[in-house]
Amino acid sequence: MRKLKIKNLIILFLIALAFALIINFPHISSIYMIRVLNMTMITYLAVLSLYVVFGMAGQSSFAQCGLMGIGAYITANMCTRWGFSPIFGMIMSMLGTALFAFIIGFALFRLKRFYFSFSTIALMTILNGIFANWTKGTGGPVGMGNLVQFSVGGFVFDTEAKYFYLIIGFSIAASIIIWKLFRSPLGRSFMAVRDNEIAASCMGINNLLTKNIAFAISGILCGLAGSLFAFLSGYISATSFALPQSQLYLVVIMIGGSSSPIGALIGSILINLLPEWLRFLKDYMMLIYGVGIMGLMVVLPEGLVGGGKDLYAKYIKRKRSRVDAEQGL
Amino acid sequence: MQNTSNAKEAVLTLNKVCKNFGGVVAAKDISFDLYSGEVFGLIGPNGAGKTTLINLITGIYKVDGGTILLNGHDITKTPAHTRARRGITRTFQHPHLLNRCDIETNIYLGVDLAKKNKLLKSLDHKKLLDELLEVAGLKLNMRDGIDKLAYGQQKLLEVVRAILTRPSVLLLDEPAAGLNQKEMEHIVALVDIAIKMNSAVLLIEHRMDLVMSICDRITVLNFGNQIANGKPAEIQDNPVVIEAYLGRKRGA
Repeated sequence: MRKLKIKNLIILFLIALAFALIINFPHISSIYMIRVLNMTMITYLAVLSLYVVFGMAGQSSFAQCGLMGIGAYITANMCTRWGFSPIFGMIMSMLGTALFAFIIGFALFRLKRFYFSFSTIALMTILNGIFANWTKGTGGPVGMGNLVQFSVGGFVFDTEAKYFYLIIGFSIAASIIIWKLFRSPLGRSFMAVRDNEIAASCMGINNLLTKNIAFAISGILCGLAGSLFAFLSGYISATSFALPQSQLYLVVIMIGGSSSPIGALIGSILINLLPEWLRFLKDYMMLIYGVGIMGLMVVLPEGLVGGGKDLYAKYIKRKRSRVDAEQGL
Repeated sequence: MQNTSNAKEAVLTLNKVCKNFGGVVAAKDISFDLYSGEVFGLIGPNGAGKTTLINLITGIYKVDGGTILLNGHDITKTPAHTRARRGITRTFQHPHLLNRCDIETNIYLGVDLAKKNKLLKSLDHKKLLDELLEVAGLKLNMRDGIDKLAYGQQKLLEVVRAILTRPSVLLLDEPAAGLNQKEMEHIVALVDIAIKMNSAVLLIEHRMDLVMSICDRITVLNFGNQIANGKPAEIQDNPVVIEAYLGRKRGA
């Protein structure tokens, strides 16, 4: 019992420390670093969407960046062109993207496993083609610029630091919701579909609908990420929402570990900050970076979080066996 | 026996159900009724089509001919998940648990299914769960992974999960296979709870001591054909069944 309390205290302390860091970060850091962290958190939201559809529901989607693009273009059109309020634009981005994912899911989830993944590559390519060529809706190859800033009431988010708090706020809220999802009936149905579709359907779970709902929830997160991206960067074009970016998100969740949102967070931080830290390697940077990721996948196939858990379990086991041995003596 | 059975309304009725896999006949004109509160045994040699029949009842396979009725409603074309929601729950010969999830997630799938039914929603599922785990002799750390459980425990857990859904029809596919004597007793105790709950239990099993002791009625399958029906004592003495499955006693 006492041990449990100490554990809680440590967690509380870590949370307090994280809050202190978050609140003070913009004051002690350069604008460039804040910018990098903002992009990291947007990546995190996109990867979190992948945690829902891939980590929980077991469907590896290459279309997340395309969904993000849909969110970004909805925001850009609604807020800048038609003059709706930014919050309304953001909500419409989330709902619109979710609706798109839900409807397209009925076609894509007829396919299973790898075939589904391939079809999402096709979807991504189609979406990117639309972004790059639909001049009326997306600005075509030129993209859309001079987008309005995010604002609540009269308060305009016009600096990187303000966006930092905004994005962190949304990220924390999204993380808590997804965390709660894990122990909810819906979350359980996702995991049932991932682990055993036959057992799932014998437990009253509609596999197709469940996958669709997972894809729609990931659409909400992607819509949010895209919307924030549009507000933050003030300019969007088709190059931001292309297949390589989607592939990167899958790499991120594989590295971080697909078993928990923490994996998504660690992966996002690593993938965004590592290139910054490795800058001193100059020409060899991408080489070292690539080899490093490859090595990580070989050593820790379950990702950093999964590998960490395994190590911890081994440590506990060794500790227990030592205690048992001592008692035996 | 037949008369008392007819007086009650059947929960599940199979009417001339057929299934072929290419040229292999897995089920041919299988007909029987299941009544609530009874254990119905389904026995026969390997490959007789017992598991296929469960797959047909749960909707994993589509029937080639015949009809399946649940509480008088035709469910022949109903998808598997809808049948589960209407009260048909099963276990598998090899446990189908969620391998990457912890025990809690696995168990609560059963509660989730029960809560989808309006009539069962408000019942005390936690109490039932505690009772079932005690009867099953399972002392579990809910946050442990499934891989921490022994094979027998996994099978017991699957039965617990199935009964937790408060099924009107419970289909048990060789629940005692690979279990030791003590675990088998736990299975019997669990089946007792299901019967008290007024479930209709269909039991596939090769262990004859178990089948003969807990089944009210038995049907025997061989190569997809129903070769005998009756009470355990009648089946034991049926020459056709002895020839096909039970085997002759030495010196008889």
